[in-house]
Amino acid sequence: MLGTADLQRRLRRRGVVFVAWAAGWVQLLRFGGTAIVAALSPSIYIPATRDSVAKQVYFTAWQVLPGFVLFIAVLSAVVVRIVDATARDYGLSQFAIEMILRVLLLELIPLTAALFVSLRSGAAISTEIALMNLRHEIDALARAGVDPMRHELVPRLVGCTVSVIALSVVSCAVTLVIAYLGVYGFFLWGLPEFTRTVGAVFSPQITIGLGLKCLFFGIAVGVIPMAEGLAGPLEVHSAPVTVLRGMMRLFFVLLLIEVSSLAFKYI
Amino acid sequence: MTWVAGDAERRAALAEHPLAALVSPALPLRANLSALENIALVQQYQHSLDWPTAAAGAMGLLEQLECAGCAGKRDAGLTHEERFQVKLLRAVAASPALVVIERPGYLLPDTHYPRFVDASLAAVQDRFGSCTIIDYVWNAPLYPPR
Repeated sequence: MLGTADLQRRLRRRGVVFVAWAAGWVQLLRFGGTAIVAALSPSIYIPATRDSVAKQVYFTAWQVLPGFVLFIAVLSAVVVRIVDATARDYGLSQFAIEMILRVLLLELIPLTAALFVSLRSGAAISTEIALMNLRHEIDALARAGVDPMRHELVPRLVGCTVSVIALSVVSCAVTLVIAYLGVYGFFLWGLPEFTRTVGAVFSPQITIGLGLKCLFFGIAVGVIPMAEGLAGPLEVHSAPVTVLRGMMRLFFVLLLIEVSSLAFKYI
Repeated sequence: MTWVAGDAERRAALAEHPLAALVSPALPLRANLSALENIALVQQYQHSLDWPTAAAGAMGLLEQLECAGCAGKRDAGLTHEERFQVKLLRAVAASPALVVIERPGYLLPDTHYPRFVDASLAAVQDRFGSCTIIDYVWNAPLYPPR
């Protein structure tokens, strides 16, 4: 049986862990707010910052675009085939296109784009910022008169946001074509019905919601790895834990955004 | 020269110059940028220059210090001397009123550093106002009488 002192010690330990966890989120939100405000300030975009932003957009969006679009094309072709065949089996072929558009375009593609950018760029950003912090490179930049927010942080945030939105938009466009070809084949007779269904699915509210979801995904992918990298302890052996914590928080936030978006749409 | 007798004194001496351009072992170069980019970056941000202009200015500084050969090297590929020179050029790139070099012996472990530091400073003396070196008092015999 637990003694009172033992219980108190356990509760205190739990309390300390909870406070540290909550403080981490508060720090993350504070950094996110600062970074977003900085990214929205036109004065921050001096030529050097514009160069850095262009580099980040190139590395996080442009470089991966062909590979990602190809992957999405294959995924879409498989999903379209499955949904179309299943709908025909159950005599529900008139709903196939709508189902494909709702599942792929509204949910699967934006989430896949966000997860892809997280795995490819988010992990790298978290590691790089954690190492920069460890090596005091951020302090060195600031001391040399180079604002780290302008040179290192805002370009990465903009790069990730543009990347998630660009990958989602291009992949959605490719998926629309594949969905049409998968259901109607290489004929134009299905075009009026197809465009009507697309118009019905992409109502103004849904379109705005999709845009906001992609934006929030992009911001989360940019902000969370950087915030964790900056907040990590200044010890080399802690760097893997810092990166891991950043990726876990990012994964949690991405799912939270996805679930919230589903709840707004369907509940 | 500022002679210090320990870490606390060194920190206090540094705190006296919060706005000085600092050359210090604690302020490394940006690891994923070349020497040229590390210097040009300061000019880009301090003077809002575009990249070609800032890069030309940075190359001019490297040539002035006769170390243009290290322009394309990153931090890990630089020798201690080259790293010191690049840090010095990064510090003077914004034409500061005061440059502070702290613990030069730490920055240049394999060199008779007082002579090397003096020569480097002399080569770029038109780029800054004045310079203070913060070093430990037990290294004083290494310096020539001033």
